[in-house]
Amino acid sequence: MSGCQHRWEMADIQFGFVVFEKCFQCNGVRTYFTRESLPIIGDEYREGDHFWHRVENAQTFRFALRCTKCGAAESFDDLMGLLYCTGCLPDCRLEILRQRLESERTHLVLACGFLKETRVRPGQIASRKLQKLTRYFNQRRDRSRSTISIRSFDLDDGFARCKGEFLHDVGMLSQEPLTSRRSPF
Amino acid sequence: MTVQDLIEKAGLKPLSKFENRSVAGVYISDMVSDVMAGAKSGDLWLTIQTHKSIVPAANLVDVSAIIITGGKEVPSETIEFANKYDIAILSSGLPTFGLVGKLYELGLRAT
Repeated sequence: MSGCQHRWEMADIQFGFVVFEKCFQCNGVRTYFTRESLPIIGDEYREGDHFWHRVENAQTFRFALRCTKCGAAESFDDLMGLLYCTGCLPDCRLEILRQRLESERTHLVLACGFLKETRVRPGQIASRKLQKLTRYFNQRRDRSRSTISIRSFDLDDGFARCKGEFLHDVGMLSQEPLTSRRSPF
Repeated sequence: MTVQDLIEKAGLKPLSKFENRSVAGVYISDMVSDVMAGAKSGDLWLTIQTHKSIVPAANLVDVSAIIITGGKEVPSETIEFANKYDIAILSSGLPTFGLVGKLYELGLRAT
């Protein structure tokens, strides 16, 4: 096991889109990353029993973390995005956690993996990876003011009731006013 | 240079409550994903983007302030969100290019 006190930096940054697709047959939603120049909203296609319809896309990026001291690397290809809790439901487990962390001057950030077809919850990111991501964002900030804690988004009902703010560029290619952007969920 | 110095010297209008932090440099982008990938702690973030998702992005990368250029109106929900996270949102009537020139004259550079 490496004794390196890792100093992380972002590496292998690839800009692209998160595509949101919905199946007419099963109502399932799935998401994936693509480097297509412009995924077209409204595209439809069959795949086995599913009839997928592209309902939204959002500009995003994927990346890895690499240690500047020892060269160790960790890929975050399974990370769909980061989400900030907006306190939409006072009794939500994540809102209670957010408030507790806030009293310690720590901001809660939630990591979401990609949605896989009929599953409601987004994929879970391994906690060892979230610890590295937390460390990366804290290493680069003024920690005397506040810190970041990145946890897994693990609500049982997924995004059904959550109104958290995703760090995605939804609607950047649209002529609609940005204030009226719709949530991909 | 601090955020308060900039407000006075560059004629900026504060839209949210702010902490008078030191300014390290300048980053210009209208995409939150680009800011997350490229901005540095203490940077000023210049943008025309006013959606409230700019606030968590600024918080995550620890920018010293967001400056909305071109006199664009900022929705109240964005300002409320900024107050919640102590993110300074400042407004400039100048287009981005004009404000960059002014900031450059004041000695600010990209980090």
